[in-house]
Amino acid sequence: MNASELALSKKDNSLTIVMNVLPSHLRKMLQRLQQLQPEEMARLEELRLRQNRPMVLGFSDEDVFLHREGGLTAHSERAYFVSADDIQRTTQMVSNSSIYALEEELKNGYITLTGGHRVGITGKVVADQGRVKTIKYISGFNIRISRQVVGAADQLLRHLISPKGDVYHTMLISPPRCGKTTILRDIVRQLSSGIQKFNFPGVTVGVVDERSEIAGCYRGIPQLNVGTRSDVLDSCPKASGMMMLLRSMSPQVIATDEIGRMEDVEALEEVLNAGVKVLTTAHGAAVDDIEKRPAIKRLLKLQAIERLVVLDRSKGPGTVKQVLDGITYRPLGVKRC
Amino acid sequence: MLKIIGALVILCSCGYAGFSVARDYQRRPKDLRYLQSALQMLETEISYGATPLPDALEQVANRCDKSVAQLFLETRNRLLSGDGITAREALDDTLKKFSRNSAIKNSDASVLRALGTSLGISDREDQVKHLQLAREQLRIEAAKAEEEAAKNVKLYNYLGVLGGLTIILIFI
Repeated sequence: MNASELALSKKDNSLTIVMNVLPSHLRKMLQRLQQLQPEEMARLEELRLRQNRPMVLGFSDEDVFLHREGGLTAHSERAYFVSADDIQRTTQMVSNSSIYALEEELKNGYITLTGGHRVGITGKVVADQGRVKTIKYISGFNIRISRQVVGAADQLLRHLISPKGDVYHTMLISPPRCGKTTILRDIVRQLSSGIQKFNFPGVTVGVVDERSEIAGCYRGIPQLNVGTRSDVLDSCPKASGMMMLLRSMSPQVIATDEIGRMEDVEALEEVLNAGVKVLTTAHGAAVDDIEKRPAIKRLLKLQAIERLVVLDRSKGPGTVKQVLDGITYRPLGVKRC
Repeated sequence: MLKIIGALVILCSCGYAGFSVARDYQRRPKDLRYLQSALQMLETEISYGATPLPDALEQVANRCDKSVAQLFLETRNRLLSGDGITAREALDDTLKKFSRNSAIKNSDASVLRALGTSLGISDREDQVKHLQLAREQLRIEAAKAEEEAAKNVKLYNYLGVLGGLTIILIFI
C-alpha cells in the first residue's frame, strides 16, 4: 500500500473495502468521485447493481444514478447501465471466487464482506421442497457500506445504565437503515471498555454475530472496534450462540442482532433467567409494530426487557426517537438526538 | 588436436540436445500425474472443507509436487492482487507462463483452461464434477504421454549421440 492509498484508507476505509469488490472501471469512477466530492461520498450508504439497469448510489437522504461518464446524475437515461459482465465480476469478487463456499450465505440471500459490509443478492432462487437451496443466475446486488460511528451511542447510554451501575435489558427498535447495528456496536464497545463519565468499569460482553455485521470479523477476528472485554461468536446462529456463550464465556451482557424467530426468544429467556443482561434489536417502526410479531410479543410479555429504544432517520440514521421503560412503556425524557 | 576438440564439442552439444528432448518426454507424464493429484487435493479442499479458492490453492501449492506448485501459487496471488480479475483470467495468465517453463503441452494446458472457466462459480457438487472431468482428461493425456515417452526417450537419447557421431564422421 503506497502513501496516497494509505491516506485514502484513513479517510474512508469502509468505502475502499467495498469498492474492491467492483469491476475495475466502476472502481475508478467511484474513486474519482471520492476525490472530487469526499464529503458527499462519506455519506454514501448503498451501492445497488441491477443487471441491465442503471447503477444507483444510495446516500443517506437520496438515491442518485451513476453517470456513464463518471459523476452523478438524476436522469436514468444518462446513467451507467450495469452489464452482465459487471455482475459476473462482482459475483466473483464478492465471493472470493468461491461460490461453493457460500452455500449457507446464499440460502439467506446475503454475503458479509470483511469489515461487516452486507451484500444482498437477488436472482433466480432454486428451491427444494419449499426451502431455498441456492441462488442461481445472480442478477442484482445491494452493497451496504457499514461505517463504524464511534460515539454513536453517547447520548443513549445514560438511559441504559441504572444508578447502581447495572446494565438494563435493552431492545433497539427501528426499520432497516436506521442505524440499529451501528448503535448496538457502539454500546457493546463502550460497555466492554468501560465508560469513565459514569464511572462504569467495563463488563464482559458476549456477542453472537450471526450476520458478521456487529464486529465485522475476518477469520474470527473482529475488524471493527467492539471494545476490550468482548467475546465474539462469528456467523453463529443466534439461539445456539447465546447458549454457548452462557455456558463457556461467563458474560455479564449478551448482545445479538435482529431477533425474530421463536427459538431466538426461547434462548433469550434462558439468558434472562441466568442473570445475564441482554442487548438486542428488532425490526419495526414502533413498539406497537413489534408487539404484533408473535415471537417478540412473547418476549415483551415476560416484562423483562427494561428499556425499549426506538430509532428513526428524522435527523439522519441513528436518530434516537424515544426511549421507553420496557415495563410501563412510559417514555423517558429524551430529545431527538 | 583442434579436430579432436571440435569433434568433442559437436558430440557433447548433439548429445545434450538429444537428452533434453528425451527429458521433456520423460517429464511430461510425471508432471501430468502431479497435476492430477493436485487437482484431487483441490477437490477435497472444495468438497469437504468448502475452503475459499485462494486458500484452497495455497494449501494445494504447499502440499503438491514442486514442479507444479508454482501454477497454483501464482494463480492464488493473482486472485488476491485485488485487480478485479476472475478466477478464469487468473488461471489463464498463469498458464501462459507455466506452460513455457514446464513439460506440459498445449493439449494439457487447454484441459486446465477449460477447468478455469468453471472454477469457483458454482456450487460444490458442480465444482467436483468439473474437477473430476479435468482429472479424467489429464489421465488420458498422461497415458498418451507415457506411450510417447516409452517410444521416444530411448530414441532421442541415442539420436543425439549417434547424430553427433555421424556429423563428426562426415567432417573428418
